[in-house]
Amino acid sequence: MNQSAFTYLLIIGVVISLIAVVSGSRSYHLPDNQQDYQPMQPIAYSHHLHAGELSIDCQYCHTGVETSRHAGIPSSNVCMNCHSIVTSSWGAVQAESKRIDELKEQAREEGRELSEEETMLTVPESEELRKLYDALALDTERLRDPDRQITPIEWVKVHNLPDYVYFDHRAHLAADIDCQTCHGNVETMERMRQVENLSMGWCVNCHRESNRIGVKGKPVNASTDCTTCHY
Amino acid sequence: MPDSKTKQYWRSPGEEVDSADGVSGNDLDAWREPTPAYVRRRSFLKAVGFGVAGLTVSGCQQTPEIKAIPLPIQPAGVTAGRPMHYATVCGACTAGCGMLATCRDGRPTKLEGLPEHPTSAGGLCAMGQASLLGLYDQLRFDAPQQDGNATTWDEADQAIVARLKNIDESGKAICLLTGSVASPTLNQVIDGFLGSYQDGRRVNFDSLSSSTIADAHQATHGVRAVPQFYFDKAEVIVSFGADFLGTWISPVQFTTQRTAGRQLDRDEPFMSFHAQFESCTSLTGANADLRMALAPGEFGLELTRLAVKVAELTNQSVDVETLAESSIPQQTIEELADRLVHAKGHSLVISGENDLKVQKLCNFINHSLGNYGSTLNISQPSGIRQGNDGELAALVADMKSGAVGALLVHATNPLFELPASLGFVEALDNVDVVVQFSTRPDETTEYADFVCPIPHFLEGWNDYEIRPGLYSLGQPVIQTLFDTRPLMESLGQWTGETAGSRDLIQRFWESTVYPQAESRESFPKFFHTALHDGFVDVGTDSGEGADSFALEAVEPVTVVTGGNEFSLVAYAKVGLQNGTHACNPWLQEMPDPVSKVTWDNYACLSVATAKLLGVEEGDVVRLSLDDSSPSLELPVYVLPGVHDQVVAVAFGYGGVATERFAGIGPSWIESRPTVNAEGRVGQNIAPLMNLENNVLRNWRPGLSVQPTGEKHELASTQTWHRITVPKNLAPPGAERRPIVQETSFAAFQKDPHSGHIEHHEFGPDKLYPPDHPTDGRQWAMAIDLTKCTGCSACVVACQAENNISVVGKDEVRRRRDMHWMRIDRYFSGEGDDVEVVHQPMMCQHCDNASCENVCPVLATIQTSEGLNAQVYNRCVGTRYCANNCAYKVRRFNWFYYDRPDGLENMALNPEVTVRSRGIMEKCSFCVQRIQNAKIEARVQGIPVAADAVQTACQQSCPADAIVFGDINHPESPVSRLMRDNPRAFRVLEELDVEPSVHYLTKVRNSVDVAASEGDEHHG
Repeated sequence: MNQSAFTYLLIIGVVISLIAVVSGSRSYHLPDNQQDYQPMQPIAYSHHLHAGELSIDCQYCHTGVETSRHAGIPSSNVCMNCHSIVTSSWGAVQAESKRIDELKEQAREEGRELSEEETMLTVPESEELRKLYDALALDTERLRDPDRQITPIEWVKVHNLPDYVYFDHRAHLAADIDCQTCHGNVETMERMRQVENLSMGWCVNCHRESNRIGVKGKPVNASTDCTTCHY
Repeated sequence: MPDSKTKQYWRSPGEEVDSADGVSGNDLDAWREPTPAYVRRRSFLKAVGFGVAGLTVSGCQQTPEIKAIPLPIQPAGVTAGRPMHYATVCGACTAGCGMLATCRDGRPTKLEGLPEHPTSAGGLCAMGQASLLGLYDQLRFDAPQQDGNATTWDEADQAIVARLKNIDESGKAICLLTGSVASPTLNQVIDGFLGSYQDGRRVNFDSLSSSTIADAHQATHGVRAVPQFYFDKAEVIVSFGADFLGTWISPVQFTTQRTAGRQLDRDEPFMSFHAQFESCTSLTGANADLRMALAPGEFGLELTRLAVKVAELTNQSVDVETLAESSIPQQTIEELADRLVHAKGHSLVISGENDLKVQKLCNFINHSLGNYGSTLNISQPSGIRQGNDGELAALVADMKSGAVGALLVHATNPLFELPASLGFVEALDNVDVVVQFSTRPDETTEYADFVCPIPHFLEGWNDYEIRPGLYSLGQPVIQTLFDTRPLMESLGQWTGETAGSRDLIQRFWESTVYPQAESRESFPKFFHTALHDGFVDVGTDSGEGADSFALEAVEPVTVVTGGNEFSLVAYAKVGLQNGTHACNPWLQEMPDPVSKVTWDNYACLSVATAKLLGVEEGDVVRLSLDDSSPSLELPVYVLPGVHDQVVAVAFGYGGVATERFAGIGPSWIESRPTVNAEGRVGQNIAPLMNLENNVLRNWRPGLSVQPTGEKHELASTQTWHRITVPKNLAPPGAERRPIVQETSFAAFQKDPHSGHIEHHEFGPDKLYPPDHPTDGRQWAMAIDLTKCTGCSACVVACQAENNISVVGKDEVRRRRDMHWMRIDRYFSGEGDDVEVVHQPMMCQHCDNASCENVCPVLATIQTSEGLNAQVYNRCVGTRYCANNCAYKVRRFNWFYYDRPDGLENMALNPEVTVRSRGIMEKCSFCVQRIQNAKIEARVQGIPVAADAVQTACQQSCPADAIVFGDINHPESPVSRLMRDNPRAFRVLEELDVEPSVHYLTKVRNSVDVAASEGDEHHG
């Protein structure tokens, strides 16, 4: 192989690797900065639907937030409080009721009565909810299948802090901090995303500001001692 | 004179000699770390270059996917991340102390004392604390075994039942050999099981035997039992070799009681007097007001002399022939007798010697003084020690003769704990079937036909009756980790009882405890309350003294046994005791409170004897007895205060359980194994003992000691981290700073400030002006040196709470031990005539901290609440802070100290960061507990309560020596204790570092000062 061919080959190689690095760089962050992290979850759970459209309080599911360091991921039995009855997706129910409304409209125009069977919502079980039922070992009738084992759902954690940081939800709730202050407008998110960078500077700035101007008009004592979070 | 102005303190023999003429060259070498020759400059630079490049690449990483897995179905009351506390009973030994288990996310991570418990009163010893690690032990049995192979419970049950039936039909005996069982339910089940066979027998045996105490009471009081002791009611305690603060019967209970009898911070201070005669310096001896070394063969004679004197003073006539010459001066005996008689009914004479005559003499003295019904009570037999050495001897004889068909072994390891001369191994050959109930493989397992694994006590139900009427309830705090079954259920299963242990216990409580309690509640409610509280006390202290006393049973001892030869004394060591927990790395690495040695047992010699034999620390000597007993080679440890004719060796070492430590500690080019040539830690002394006249002896006369010329380096921490300065390195006047300050009770009563060195006042000009406010909270600690016994429960409590690594013997030897809390032990006096002081030493949280000024990255800084914070994520590991710390309390992570047993990670406290390599760490005043208390108060909208924070060391201290709190809070325990306390002092106050840890002077109820009262010649 002559010299120039080798050089060309090298240049092509460098260009390809550069492209690879640049195109992939969006998924790279500085260590421990996970801003905009939005992983796929095992079940396509929508905060937009539950917290936004349906206005369910955050604490309905994240029950630990007032009593524990962790807000907690709800266990499957919490989901079943509603989803033992609500078994289909919102969209499917909407579409079905729309179809029946149209059917009724059509029937009225045609001037005929609809049978009870025709007006009944026949919505298929949601594929996403099926995953929940499977985890709880429920059969197609959503009854406990004794042959299967209950397995927990392995959610992907979105807001991660390093091991040497001890964040406590209780203290922040006691100080009347809104969930959105740190987690962003969760009620608008289809898939959960980390809005803030959760860096130490971001935490400390808020602590300082809160000490200066208070939270919702009330003075607070947000310590900036290292031992507040690191021990 | 116990005056700290003149008293010289030293930490190891030899050190006090050096101090007179400066430090010898050898000593200075010990301060230097040798420079390793294998790292050259070029290779170092190369490594750094590649390291930096590698770090850059690996630093830019994609977000790792971390799973958050909730419980599929969450039980009510369970919240992720919120700890739950369960009252249960400690099963680490048979003392049955109350325990509070902290569980996080379904696994216990910290064991603490149950504050309300009537006997242990919130204390928990080092062994109890460390038993957590025994739960997370990968080497435990995970299935039943038949002939060394794993099998199923069904198969094992069928086989065992069939064989037991055959044996029963053949007319042979079925014997259960067990340690003391304080569980009334289990005792009932055992009785039922053995009763179902023609010849079912039970033999109780304690390897740390107190059999003769019970035997002696059988002879003198007609009751074969170990009595209850009440040290709190005793104004004068005379102990002949009973290490009641460290290892004897129920050390936590006795420490609590002894503290109650020594209260100095009252308007009317009082203090019991405690004299200790012993052959090897024990923890109890170290804390005694009067201590004398006594050969084990002299105990009987000295007790006889004391008994004669007491009888004389209480107008009894005793007929004793001429007594042999003995070593305690007549004056001391007379003074002791005088004190005892003065405190009639409030005195106590005890002995740890397993010798019938000695024990009967103790009974006689206690009876003469009217102590029965007051300081000890035989109408309340103790459930803690039920062993009977005579029955054990009979069992072995029966086994040899082939009369025993089946031997069931529970809660004991006879092949490790019994003397070789007893011939237990040979006797086992004549037993048809051996069934072992054990948590992990041990020496006996090899000979067992079946092994029925039992759960760890934290996994199962249990109940205890350690004194009549005091019922404690032990509940499981985690699901069984392995396929195990409690003894209760196994025995039930074999007799057709299918109920689980909870049902069995509940049934017993309903039929026996509930009627006694005369509760108005329904039984389920009563049981639930008992479960919540951990105990029910339905006992009535009748307070009855013994009416009848068989005087004729008491035999005087007129001669010394052993004579002028060496005696081999086997003693129990705090933490290890009989070796049940020898597989526990926390206990192995905990420095012995007196010798400060880790990871080994050794031959303790007095200073004089070592000189006589020409040996020094680490020289290996061969110990052999004249008979057929095996000989043993052990390194010498020179321990001041050992009797000159005694070589003392600790029980519990050299077992197969310690083989697991072969790989413990970081592996690097210079690392050396923790285990010895046999692959174990230490040597087992038990085979050298013997069982004579139905008594398990813990000493043997006729020992020959021969130096072998070999060396075995001991990992002793006694001279590590010393805060005294060698004379030639110190500025004038600061050569020997009185780190501990002590006085006598007599002097204290005259002047409560006695014992202090001059107080230091500093002007307003400071190198570093105060830059942080002190008007808010100011966390502080007070440690009472008078109460502290040095038992080291706090050391392990701290280790468990703060995820402190175990480093292994070699690293300890290199002074790289990681304990945040260390207990400094100082000797004072000369040669073997020493007094001992223990001083807990941890980060002093100085307000003008010397470590803070030198940290280049501000990783150690002062918080607004007076804590000296160590910020791990900032630390770059320069170690400047450790060099500049006057108290030598900072610990550096030289390696990643991975836990060799992955299951051990379950014991980690998730509230405390696990430190990685290259990080400095130290006591944080349990800041995680402080933060939690503050947040809890904030959630409830109330101020932080004065006693809301208890540090881990404070919580479990049986002596109540540690007090913690906000010193600016007028009602906090620490500010109440420290307010105008005349005993308060701070260590190295002259440096003006303003430590937040205060100490209270050590006050000893010394004899010599009391005798020379009014004779002022201090200094």
